[in-house]
Amino acid sequence: MSDTIAGELKIAGEMNAYQRKWLANVRERVGNGEPFAICNGDEFEEIFNAMDIPVMVLNYWSKIIATEAKASYYKKVLKERGYDPLHLFFSLGLACAMDNNPETAPWGGLPKPSVIVGGSKHDREMKVLELWARECGCPFIPMEFGLNTTPEQPPLPPRWWERMRDHWDELIDPDRLNVRVEEEKSLIRFLEITTGKHFSPAKLDRVAELINEQMDYWGKVRDLIAATIPCPVSLPDQIAMYQAMWHRGTEMGCNFIKAYYEEIKERVEKGIFANPNEKLRLMYIPATTPAYAGFLEETYHASLVCFGYSSIPIDCYARTVHNNDALRTLASRHMVLFSETPDWRLKDAQLHQCDGVIEVIDPAMPSLNKPLFDASGMPLLSLYTDKDTRDIKSRLSRWIETTVLPNHKGVTL
Amino acid sequence: MTPFEIIQTHYCRRDLAARAWKQKGGKVVGYFCDNVPEELIQAAGFFPYRLSGDPTGTVEIAEKYPPTGTMAAPREGFVNSMFNRLMTGEYDFLDFLVVPHARETIHRLHQVLAEIKDQNPSFHLPELYFLDNLHTTFYWSGVYNRLRWREFKTTLEQWSGKEITDMALSDAIAVTNENRTLLKKIAALRAADPPRISGTQALRIIGSSMFMLKEEHNRRLSQFLDELDKLSAKDGVRVFVEASPLDHLQLYDIIESCGAIVVGEDHCWGNRYSDVLINTAGDPFEALADRYHNKSPCPRMFPLSRRIDYCVNSAVSAGAQGAIINVYEFDEALMWEIPDAVKALEEKGIPSLHLRNQPYRIADPDLLTSRIREFIKSI
Ligand code: SF4
Repeated sequence: MSDTIAGELKIAGEMNAYQRKWLANVRERVGNGEPFAICNGDEFEEIFNAMDIPVMVLNYWSKIIATEAKASYYKKVLKERGYDPLHLFFSLGLACAMDNNPETAPWGGLPKPSVIVGGSKHDREMKVLELWARECGCPFIPMEFGLNTTPEQPPLPPRWWERMRDHWDELIDPDRLNVRVEEEKSLIRFLEITTGKHFSPAKLDRVAELINEQMDYWGKVRDLIAATIPCPVSLPDQIAMYQAMWHRGTEMGCNFIKAYYEEIKERVEKGIFANPNEKLRLMYIPATTPAYAGFLEETYHASLVCFGYSSIPIDCYARTVHNNDALRTLASRHMVLFSETPDWRLKDAQLHQCDGVIEVIDPAMPSLNKPLFDASGMPLLSLYTDKDTRDIKSRLSRWIETTVLPNHKGVTL
Repeated sequence: MTPFEIIQTHYCRRDLAARAWKQKGGKVVGYFCDNVPEELIQAAGFFPYRLSGDPTGTVEIAEKYPPTGTMAAPREGFVNSMFNRLMTGEYDFLDFLVVPHARETIHRLHQVLAEIKDQNPSFHLPELYFLDNLHTTFYWSGVYNRLRWREFKTTLEQWSGKEITDMALSDAIAVTNENRTLLKKIAALRAADPPRISGTQALRIIGSSMFMLKEEHNRRLSQFLDELDKLSAKDGVRVFVEASPLDHLQLYDIIESCGAIVVGEDHCWGNRYSDVLINTAGDPFEALADRYHNKSPCPRMFPLSRRIDYCVNSAVSAGAQGAIINVYEFDEALMWEIPDAVKALEEKGIPSLHLRNQPYRIADPDLLTSRIREFIKSI
């Protein structure tokens, strides 16, 4: 069977290499006097892309710093400056800027930004970004609201994902959206004045088209993964491909996902699978690979076939432009993206033909998914960590043996 | 009772006036924070009542409803306490509750309360209203805020069944302006050399203004100020307090037991509540909107520099010799400001003691007393 086991996904390797090259190229462009921006994920990237201003998304940057195991070092940096953050992950970029040391910074650190943009949705976000901008000597532009300011809005309706693409205007308060559009226009004007770059509506239209095209390919990959048993692509590869999200609305970003789709399609046609002996299919809710993925595969022939972000591209990012107003359409996306509702999670687990779902939650919080999952008969295990400990393994075993397997009569291990 | 004793009674028994009002058939509109235009509530004929926490109380029920969402901030103790008190029925005299868009943990209460109200009517929560207002003072934020304040006015009119006329609004503004003017006199007496009013007295005076009918508060406060000559001069090291919301006296009691006097502060239960008046020339709604849009900033507002300037200017004008900075555990809005505040105060020759991650209820008063005493001595 060895010829049917998938190796590393080719396109995922290319994606990783591209990211590094991209940053090196950005550094060179900035060295030549071009502008560079930092913004919070999903706030404004497409508009920077449309204006040809390279942009680093701070969630992505924090992830790079955390992946390079610099978190504890930067915690010290913040402490020395008198800060004791509750949410270190969010403050890593600020710490890196404060440290200002290319030798310690991942990938040699970021070039000097011309502007930092972020939302005011969290008290911490506004403060951290303002301090970060000051550290870099550039302006910080706060945008009111920001993504998923749902606490003040009525919760999204059941099966909201079915309305997101064509009926997004029903899911957002028009007055708030007006403010956001005005803010985005002011920011565009500011960028035009300070960077000399131009904003072209036609370019933004193209960006909006490319986003939808990219998300449609993503939807096709998701459907292929969901329908194919055994699963054709490993969870780490699926997650690696998510980096293409940071190049939304560009030809490059779209081509990456198209190539991803083609590679997976070819695998399916040739019968190449990530785990050919797959007996159980599981969904894993965060957007990481847990340390016990190998244990699950070896002991139970279980594959992690989908994760917390599997459906975000197609369910949340694709938007139909209304009234030829791509800016307003995008602004809506900058404000409402998704809500982690149990019905959405359950839909994903069922779509991917899962036998059970593992979620990692905060021990202080009850599982939001549990009531609906219990009622539907979809086994759900709530864990407090993604670490591979003896205790976690025994909880996983107990759950699989007492809840998942009896539910799944056809399986003999 | 002396006027101050009456004020003090209302600070201790915070529901006294509101319950009496209710008994007479009036309705009470509760609200969080200091950014809800009380004047509109008053002009609609309701009793505006600000919610506060109770550091001696429990938070058991609130903890059963932790904040949810990937990036959701944990609630500060005072927020959990207010939430808990709503759930235990301590606020059963509220007919309506306005949750403003304020610090994250407060505005998120709207959603959780709405869910509880919907699913568990046995908690008898008041009718809820979310009042949005933004984090910046830019032009477009002002346009938007006005829209939401107009909607709030319309809602109040629906609740009361009668229109809020310009005249009624101007009258309410006159009453709150008088209150702020009197409170500014209190602030000036604290900033005087020597101070004539202590910090703990001031907190009671300012706080009770949010628990009493404003006219009554004005009357008592005027009487209190009429007897100024009875106030003895206070002595002690002049301390400024920069803090998370202090809706109780514990910290000031400790500071003032250490040979210091709190001459001013920057938090929403102190001078910041009252230091900006409403312009009485022109359209009253516009003037009200202008005041709430531009009032002294609380830590949720942009930009940082405005906050730091406010803190330092307040400390300098109070003639502070030192500052005590008290940041509650989980108060992220304030936490990120402190290194800047410390530096800016220092540049003005004001040394500070930074108390981080403090519990809402002071857990070890003796330990804190000795830290503060040592700091006061070092000034
Ligand atoms: S500091 Fe501001 S947001 Fe926080 S409780 Fe006071 S008024 Fe509300």
